[in-house]
Amino acid sequence: MEILIAGRGGQGILLLGHILGRAIAKHTNLYILGSEIYAAETRGGDSRVDLVVADREEDADFIKVMKADIAIFMHQLQLDAYKDLVRDGALVFIDKSNTTNIPQRNWKVYLEPYTDIAEKEIGNIRVANMVALGHLIKVTSIVPPEAVEDTIKEVVAREWVDVNIKAFRYYFSKS
Amino acid sequence: MRVDYITGNTAIAEAAIVAGLKFYAGYPITPSSDIFEYLARELPKHGGHVIQFEDEIASINAVIGASWACAKAMTATSGPGFSLMLEAISLAVITETPLVIAYVMRTGPSTGVPTRAGQYDVLQATYGFHGGLVIPVLAASTPQEAYDLTVKAFNVSEMLRTPVVLLTDATIAHTYGKVIMRERGELEIIERIRPLTPPDKYKPYEPVKEHVPAMACFGDGYNVLVESLTHDERGYYAPRTDVQRKLMWRLYRKIVDSAPKLFDYSAIGLEGCDYAFISYGSTALSAQVAAKMLREKGYRVGTLKLRTLYPIYEDGIRKLVSSAKKVFVIENNVGLYYRELRAILRDKEVVSVPIIDLDLPQPQEIVEVVKQWL
Amino acid sequence: MAVAHPLDKYLRTDRIPTMWCPGCGLGIVMGTLLRAVDRRIKEGSLKRENVGFAGGIGCTARMTLYPLFDSAHVIHGRAIPFALAVKIVKPEMKMIVVGGDGDLAAIGGNHILHAIRRNADLLVVMVNNMIYGMTGGQVAPTTPRGLYTTTTPYGNPEREMNMIKLTAALGANYVARGSITHPQLLEQYLYKALGKRGLAFVEVISTCPELFGRHIGFRSPVDLYMEIRKRIVIKAKPSIEESDYSWEKGFVIGEFVDRDEPGFTDTIYEYLNKIRGGGVQ
Ligand SMILES: Cc1ncc(C[n+]2csc(CCOP(=O)(O)OP(=O)(O)O)c2C)c(N)n1
Ligand code: SF4
Repeated sequence: MEILIAGRGGQGILLLGHILGRAIAKHTNLYILGSEIYAAETRGGDSRVDLVVADREEDADFIKVMKADIAIFMHQLQLDAYKDLVRDGALVFIDKSNTTNIPQRNWKVYLEPYTDIAEKEIGNIRVANMVALGHLIKVTSIVPPEAVEDTIKEVVAREWVDVNIKAFRYYFSKS
Repeated sequence: MRVDYITGNTAIAEAAIVAGLKFYAGYPITPSSDIFEYLARELPKHGGHVIQFEDEIASINAVIGASWACAKAMTATSGPGFSLMLEAISLAVITETPLVIAYVMRTGPSTGVPTRAGQYDVLQATYGFHGGLVIPVLAASTPQEAYDLTVKAFNVSEMLRTPVVLLTDATIAHTYGKVIMRERGELEIIERIRPLTPPDKYKPYEPVKEHVPAMACFGDGYNVLVESLTHDERGYYAPRTDVQRKLMWRLYRKIVDSAPKLFDYSAIGLEGCDYAFISYGSTALSAQVAAKMLREKGYRVGTLKLRTLYPIYEDGIRKLVSSAKKVFVIENNVGLYYRELRAILRDKEVVSVPIIDLDLPQPQEIVEVVKQWL
Repeated sequence: MAVAHPLDKYLRTDRIPTMWCPGCGLGIVMGTLLRAVDRRIKEGSLKRENVGFAGGIGCTARMTLYPLFDSAHVIHGRAIPFALAVKIVKPEMKMIVVGGDGDLAAIGGNHILHAIRRNADLLVVMVNNMIYGMTGGQVAPTTPRGLYTTTTPYGNPEREMNMIKLTAALGANYVARGSITHPQLLEQYLYKALGKRGLAFVEVISTCPELFGRHIGFRSPVDLYMEIRKRIVIKAKPSIEESDYSWEKGFVIGEFVDRDEPGFTDTIYEYLNKIRGGGVQ
């Protein structure tokens, strides 16, 4: 299984990818390799995390997504740039707040305003990444949500844990 | 046993601590510096020393000194730094000093693209130093392998009293992966042989087991001699052909004869294959995916990922690819390790697939190149 | 019948005679150094098994071949990092680095700079014979201006390097210059240096009759010895400025620096203990 997470620098893409990768590595029996790309001009440039997940170690055999089964796009620019890396039938989570033009593909698309939710409902625009992660976990159940919350506590600076977890739980508290 | 999600560089640092590292000396260089920084934070908690020296030359010579004080010692660097270390690696070879160098390759030559990958230094890693001998080189392609091979590198260095190079590159350095970290008690940890003879009978360069002498250290009361000149078993300078022959062949044999024992690889689908891909390090990931793509198209392609690059276990490699009609050597350079494999696979058609890429070569590109030969 | 020399117990006697040329000043340096070590061992301030030698490459560095102690004859210029690492791992050791002016001031210059900056706990003995001996008489950074060597056949156009000034400026705990022409004084400096923590630097003006002396017209070792002796100026408390030398001016010997700042080893163990005790996060 291949997961692609992409957005602009400053959207917390690397943190999202790291938390997801770490939760999978530490809280499931799956094997995983993950790689990060970020432009030197961090804010605004491409940010991208590729996760390759498999049941057997030898099948987690590449560090780049070739055809993603799951994708999160947090911005129109990266959606345009990487849409061809997503295979037909993939689950694709798109931040409606930062996109206007959704390509016509054979995807199962979840179009949700993650950034607006973070800003208006959670009270911090910077946790849009965790809103999206929560949505992905709720839909796919790759890892138990508790495992992700534990990982957030491990990785995120103490003063930011609560707001990140609140954002992550957004889709779990709605039914 | 612990499970973590860490980069190749962190895996090296973690494994070094588990292997018993007590002294790290280094000089910052991308993409190896985070090994240094991680150890600077963690190693002192385990009673070890981490010191930034004035250059790589000082670093490697300090590592040699620390090893002669019987501390397990290492450094990490990349091409420009490794080049500066070469003279001292030769010293470590002739003085039979156990140490580990994590060589995180980056794009060269010279300053090249410091943050990006390549496998240009695979031959330098073992042939770079003067004196015409060989040092073991282990190559990792994932964080898990980086962890396991770091422990192995320390074991080999202690067992054979030799410098060992652990080879990775910028890609592996910063790739995250699930790493199952076996710890002390769950792993074999080898320590150098210490002398059993009393100091007045002890000869610092007299082999006691498979060409390897016992090692007394500074402060042990053995009056050890660390000697860079050609020396006899006492460590006394002896500019004589008979002594030189004996020393050279012993230093050579102790590494080369351990090839079967050091051989480490993973093989997929080699039995009955028509074509074999041989690769190592990060490029092995691309090669394995490319082979899978070709298998899906009906070609019988197997892959051999070498984790031990030196000493070369010729029989082992030959046997593994024996059914292949053609062997493709895939690497991210102008075709360097290909030369080694061509020399040992004389009865086969060996094709070099050199793909220069700042990142991982794309499997699709490998498929396209290889297809012309199928 | 051979008579045992009082220093024989400190020598690998089976390796004597040394490789040095007849009349070379290095024999005096080694004898003096071992006598200073002997005094320290006898008075109980140094344990024999804790004394270690390290040298790079050169006639001087070959001094590491003879003492019956732990000893390392490593590569040109790199004895300091080797010795420093031994000292860090085994702080009970007293590491003595011996080297020529090429070994320590030229190729090893960067290491001595930083060893002093760290106040590394080492005794560094630099033999200034004003020439590259081992390789056949080429110019050294310490060769006085104007003198002839094989690589300065028209006379040395370069300024002579004053290592006393350098080591004093960078903060060594002890800096002295002695001469083989005055072995009692030299022994006193070395004895004192062995008792110091931090970095102790002793420069020894020495003679290379084979390649330095003959090249500038002194036919016998004794001639060169007498010539150098004539140019030595003994001072009780010389200033750093007075350490500058030239062939014409001569060489001021004496103790230039004597202070007692904490050494590198103590400092890093202090940190280490704090970290292990949880004092540093
Ligand atoms: C890297 C390297 N470069 C050059 C040499 C050759 N070499 C050996 S000793 C020496 C200099 C010797 O002069 P010095 O250090 O002053 O010692 P001396 O022989 O005068 O005691 C040189 C250049 C070497 N061994 N290694
Ligand atoms: S060459 Fe000079 S320094 Fe070397 S041993 Fe001979 S006299 Fe001494």
